[in-house]
Amino acid sequence: MERLFSFKLNGQEVSVSAPPAHTLLEVLREKLDVTGPKEDCGRGECGACTVLINGKPVFSCLVLISQVQGAEIVTSEGLMKDGLPDYVQKAFVENGAVQCGHCIPGFIVSTEALLNRISNPTVKEIKIALAGNLCRCTGYASIIRAVEDAARMRPS
Amino acid sequence: MMRLSDLDVVQPRTLSDALTVLCQRSGSIRPIAGGTDVIIQLKDHLLQAKELLDISGLVELRYIRREGSTVRIGALSTYSEIIESPILKDSCRMLVEASKTIGVVQLQNRATIGGNLGNASPAGDTIPPFYVLDATITVHSHKGIRHVPVEKFFLDYRKVDLKPDELITEISFEAVERPCEATFLKLGLREAHFISLASIAVWVRWAHEVGNFSDVRIAMGSVAPVVVRARKCEEFLQDQPLSEDVVWKAGEIASGETCPITDVRTSAEYRRAVMPSLLYKALHTLIESRRMWETR
Repeated sequence: MERLFSFKLNGQEVSVSAPPAHTLLEVLREKLDVTGPKEDCGRGECGACTVLINGKPVFSCLVLISQVQGAEIVTSEGLMKDGLPDYVQKAFVENGAVQCGHCIPGFIVSTEALLNRISNPTVKEIKIALAGNLCRCTGYASIIRAVEDAARMRPS
Repeated sequence: MMRLSDLDVVQPRTLSDALTVLCQRSGSIRPIAGGTDVIIQLKDHLLQAKELLDISGLVELRYIRREGSTVRIGALSTYSEIIESPILKDSCRMLVEASKTIGVVQLQNRATIGGNLGNASPAGDTIPPFYVLDATITVHSHKGIRHVPVEKFFLDYRKVDLKPDELITEISFEAVERPCEATFLKLGLREAHFISLASIAVWVRWAHEVGNFSDVRIAMGSVAPVVVRARKCEEFLQDQPLSEDVVWKAGEIASGETCPITDVRTSAEYRRAVMPSLLYKALHTLIESRRMWETR
């Protein structure tokens, strides 16, 4: 039993056929080949599956595909500009905030949402905004530095 | 075995459509809104359903408004909407603070207030605040409307006074305004994304003299199958000038009114032992904030 769902994904209108209670994450990865968001815990604890729905970060492992009909979804892939990393992605690379990279697509979109809301966040605000994203390689110091740097590099 | 992807999803356009479907297929259909509890329970096979009734699109249940001194929150309001609400900032800061401590941004953007009530976890962090607010839960069914006092709604561990054909639609309460004040505190094993080991909500109506109140309500979370009002403790504190001794004695009484269990997060003994400190801190916060507005 599949149904057709239409929404905007990384700036493009897409239509995809899927079981209505598939999670958004499953559809992104398995039907649409968008593999930035990862499934680790599958229960809203790790943040590796974070995507933006209408600009807000959510756990895509806890959203049904039925619930995003007509919505605007952004993953880390959608932030590239002309095939090049955007300012947040660049700041993560330049600050050595990436080791194995597995959790980073989630961190990138959470950071993007934070900086769209608060252009010059304090360390406390950064920590609150990223508390839902776990990284087991870097520790968080370099990630926080990357976010501070991204805030400085953000195009106005 | 049932898999998540085998379920059908029904998406009504209006509350009235939702109630009709729920009435026709009650028992086999399960309401879902933000999904942050329901999807996990389905994945864990803790919940049986053939179909999901996705009510997340019912905009008519997504509101926060104030009518006179009554605050009304539609069941589909998310924690993020509560945290950002200018109405609640003025009318019930306690609820804003409690919502900020629930999960993390990704969760706050999806999870709804109605879901927190319906899920009825003893560690549900909006529930102690609603107990001290003497809030009223509104439920709708195909047949009509019921208004249930929050304390009557929670029957036992994860059991609520909600029939299979009913939906939680609203929670309402009196705005917290001077000379009343309220605060919520919770204790966990870390600072972010944690489930309460124990929590407390305190609502007071200050008397004229600093340090005295004419009314007090205390509710404790995560220390019994359902949230409990510390009525003996409230009685003890009534019309009594606050002092160190009085507050510690009150804490002991509150602790005696809990009925905690030992679980993965902590022991029953710890939950009992920490309650006096939580009460102390909550009262301290309230006294400090009263001093602030007295000196302004």
